[in-house]
Order: sequence, then structure tokens, then C-alpha cells
Amino acid sequence: MSVVSETHETACPYPDYEDGEDVSDLPATGADATGVEARVWDALRDVEDPEMPVSIVDLGLIYGVRVTDGVATVEMTLTYTGCPARQYLLDEVEDAAASAEGVSEAAVSLVWRPEWTVEMVTEDGRAALREFGVSI
Amino acid sequence: MAATDDVADLAPDERAALEALLFRMADDEFVLAERYTEWQVRAPTLESDLALANIAQDELGHARLWYDALQGLGYSEPELVWERNPADFRHSILVELPFTGGDWADPIVRSYLYDEAEHLRLQALEDAPVRALADPIGKVQREEEYHREHAQSWLERLCDDAEGREAVEAAVGRLFGPALTLFVPGEHEATVERMGLRSESLADQREQWLDVVVPFLGSLGVEVPFGPEEDVDDLLPERVGRDGNHTDDWPALHEELTRTYRELGRSDARRLRGERRE
Repeated sequence: MSVVSETHETACPYPDYEDGEDVSDLPATGADATGVEARVWDALRDVEDPEMPVSIVDLGLIYGVRVTDGVATVEMTLTYTGCPARQYLLDEVEDAAASAEGVSEAAVSLVWRPEWTVEMVTEDGRAALREFGVSI
Repeated sequence: MAATDDVADLAPDERAALEALLFRMADDEFVLAERYTEWQVRAPTLESDLALANIAQDELGHARLWYDALQGLGYSEPELVWERNPADFRHSILVELPFTGGDWADPIVRSYLYDEAEHLRLQALEDAPVRALADPIGKVQREEEYHREHAQSWLERLCDDAEGREAVEAAVGRLFGPALTLFVPGEHEATVERMGLRSESLADQREQWLDVVVPFLGSLGVEVPFGPEEDVDDLLPERVGRDGNHTDDWPALHEELTRTYRELGRSDARRLRGERRE
């Protein structure tokens, strides 16, 4: 992902993550979730981005979680269409969702709208990224 | 046609038209990415190596998006890529042509002509009434933006001196006709139009493209290979790719890009892809 390095040099300026469409209901963090859906969110928080020690929930990649009759559906996006760890990440998310108590089956749906932007990183995510050495 | 999530609602001819549109896009991106990778560690500077490698990665990512949409219509990755008959690929011949050995102007001109056309193509699909088509457009356009900037800035630099300008003009002379094949309609064009998948027809996109690339090249002192009174259609090659009729360079490239898959055999390839289920 494109971020500004700690020395405040401008890193590679592309892609430009500014001015995406209205995403006022994102990032989704599951803060209001209850019961089995809250347990799925908790499990997803343990999944980290393969390149940086930050939870994919705090990165803002998870757009929604729904559990109906034990079947969990997770809607998520990626920071980059050419992500070489896509299948790895989708599998991790599926496994994590399926591991939550009360979930018998999990499916991940990959979506591209709205576009992920750096604005979707949560405060915790920003702190984790700063800790890792990228200023955001 | 209302926006639909469920492509199962499409009539058979509409489904065929949507598939045809996706195959054109996916195949263009996939084959172009394959060709770009030939420049890795051969570009004139390390920065150019990285830039072209990165552009190739973007295009592969976009090819995967459109192949994903086709998987949503029931195809598998091996059917779409590794086991498909080369004659069933629908990319424009512009993307399959081999590079002229060591001529850096070639990938730059090719990228310029292609990316300006792709920008218009994607713009026309922004409001397509099929989510699998419309949803990724914003993301893709954003990643594509710097491809055009990269090509334009290199063209400007190359045209700074006479030798570079001659190389660019020679590449434009070679590639302009093949680039026109990007806009050649396929057999389902009438249905694509009727479904309202595109907000601009291919003919209109071609006009817009000519209005962009001809003046830009002209501003660099590069002449296009047709005069103001001449019909640009005269440059259209006999083989266009869009109907599966490709140049003689395609079978060899196809052979090369599917070789590892064939050598591994199906089960190993599936295991390496990390597929969990059939």
C-alpha cells in the first residue's frame, strides 16, 4: 500500500487513495455486532495482513459480516487488485469465520465497491502501522 | 435493463454477450501483461524495469478480476486460461505482437495506445447494469491512471531528440493499425448495445481515442501513418483477434504461457494454486 514513510518523504504517490466515494458507514469494525456475529468479528481481528502486522479488520478490509442459521458470510475487499496473497487471505478469513462458535459454514465474498482507501484504516490500525514504521 | 446481481436472470443471448465482453477485456489484459514481462531486467533503467513490472502486475490483477466475473458465470480458471483453445481467445492483436528487439519505444507506444483506449472502455462501463462489470471499474481506473502518465512522460522524453522521435514514429507506424483492432466489434455487439452495457459505442470510443492520441502525438512532432483526407480504416489489419483470428505470433506465445501448466499436469497445478475443493 502507498503510505508516507516515517521520515515524511513522500513515498510512491500511486495509487491515489484520496477522494473515494462516500463511505461514511466504513470502516466496519463490528463494534455494534452481538452474539455469533460479534464472535466472527473477534476471530477476524486475529487475521493479519501478510505484509504488515496489522489486523485486516483495522486495515478496513472487512465491509460486513452476516450469520444466518450458522452460515457466515463475510464481505471484504483488498487494497490492490493485483494482490499476490489474495487466495491466502481469503482462505484465512474463511477459516477464521468458520472457527467462531455457532458458525457451521463460512463464505467470503470479495467486493470492489466501495473502493478501499487509506481513510478506512481504524485508529488502532493507524497505531499498529506507526508501530511497524509507517506513518499514516 | 435494471441493475442485476443475478446473472442467472439473463436471457441466453444476453449472457453470451456479457461473456463476450468480459473475454475481450480479460484476454487483452492477460496477454498484454505476459508481453510486458518480457521487458523485465531489460528496460533501459532499473526504475523503468520496476515501472513496467508493476504495470504488468496491475494488468494481471485486472485480468483476474474479469476472469473472476467469468467464473461467476460458471467457468473455472483452467477453462478460462490454461486449457482454453488459443483460437478462443478474443484479445486484440495489438497485445500479442512480439516486441521489436531492444526497441524501448515499442512498449511505450503500445502502452500509450492501449491505455488511452482502455480508459475510454472502462469509462463507458461505469454505469453498466451488471454489478460484476461495473463494481470494479473505480478501483481499476484508479490503478490505471499512472499507466497513462508513465507512457506520456516517456513519449515526451523519447521525442526530445531526433533519434528518439524517429523510433517513436516507427513504432506508431507499426502499431497504429493493430491498435485499431481494439475497437473492432465482436459477434454479440448488437446485444451488448441493446443491453445498455456500454454508455458509448465502440465506434464513438474510437472517435474519442483518435481525438486524443493523434493531437498528442502531433504535439510531439510524431506523424500518424494516415493523412487528414485518408480513411483510417485502411490501416486496419486483416487479422484483428477479436473474432479469434490471430496473428501467427499468438500460438507460440500461448504455448509458452501455458507450458508450465501442461508440464505439471492438472492435479499438481491445482495443488499449487492451493485450491481446496473442486
